[in-house]
Amino acid sequence: MTKKTGISVPEGYFAKLQTRLQSIPGQEVKPTAVQKVAPWLAYAASLAVLAALGNFIFGRAAATEEEMGLDYISYLSQSLDPDGQIELMEMPALTEEDDICSFLIASNIPVEQLTELDYEEDY
Amino acid sequence: MENLEQVFNQIVKDYSERLYWHVRRMVGTHEDADDLLQDIFLKIWTALPSFRGEAQLYTWVWRIATNETLNWLRRERVRAALRFQSIDAELERRILADPYFNGTDAQRELFKALSRLPEKQRQVFVMRWWDELSYEQISAITGTSVGALKASYHIAQEKLKLNLSQAEVSK
Repeated sequence: MTKKTGISVPEGYFAKLQTRLQSIPGQEVKPTAVQKVAPWLAYAASLAVLAALGNFIFGRAAATEEEMGLDYISYLSQSLDPDGQIELMEMPALTEEDDICSFLIASNIPVEQLTELDYEEDY
Repeated sequence: MENLEQVFNQIVKDYSERLYWHVRRMVGTHEDADDLLQDIFLKIWTALPSFRGEAQLYTWVWRIATNETLNWLRRERVRAALRFQSIDAELERRILADPYFNGTDAQRELFKALSRLPEKQRQVFVMRWWDELSYEQISAITGTSVGALKASYHIAQEKLKLNLSQAEVSK
């Protein structure tokens, strides 16, 4: 097996890259993942709480959360703290692609907003 | 702040090219690698004030780069799943269309085989084979034990050999 890969870059790329990257400190910093996702999750969780409450009131308690397609959102609603924020790290259920897809579809959250939920550390 | 900028500029100078090649081998195409590298250095700049020196700067920078790369691959996998497509096929398609790939057929097959490895195996293989990091360095960056890394590397190497021999047979 060869170490040569046959990949290349445009001419003068690395000099331009350094200049571009060194301009980052002057740019506006994007909001963090927590800042981006928290309002969406809080909204989704609020809807889930209302749906669950409605379900209880109207006597549909027999239907499971899973049958309603709200399992992940309901799970998140349990993580709602008194200030209405979600502890993002309390999402161990979202480990497989299928889980993530279900969550995205159920909550209508764009995939971009799940950036950094995994492999994220306290750098 | 000025001091932070100086440190950041030095990080860009010291690491940008090496990290580019790492990211490029992980994601396949120049365009994706270029975009991802921008995100990685933005992350480094954002996190720099909280760097406390508990890890070596080298380890810290590489850790951010490898985590961001795995996140990117995972997002791409989810995007592909939402479109009912295979991420392997999508990455292969992008590699074939990349204007900055001018290798031989064998090298193209190697890249395609690499894109079919699970992300973490691909990561260990790229870091050891091409980035030439020691197992101890990879361990410090990824937080995985040296024993587990050696096992992952061996499995990745065997899978690549198998994929390459199958590609040869199918010609």
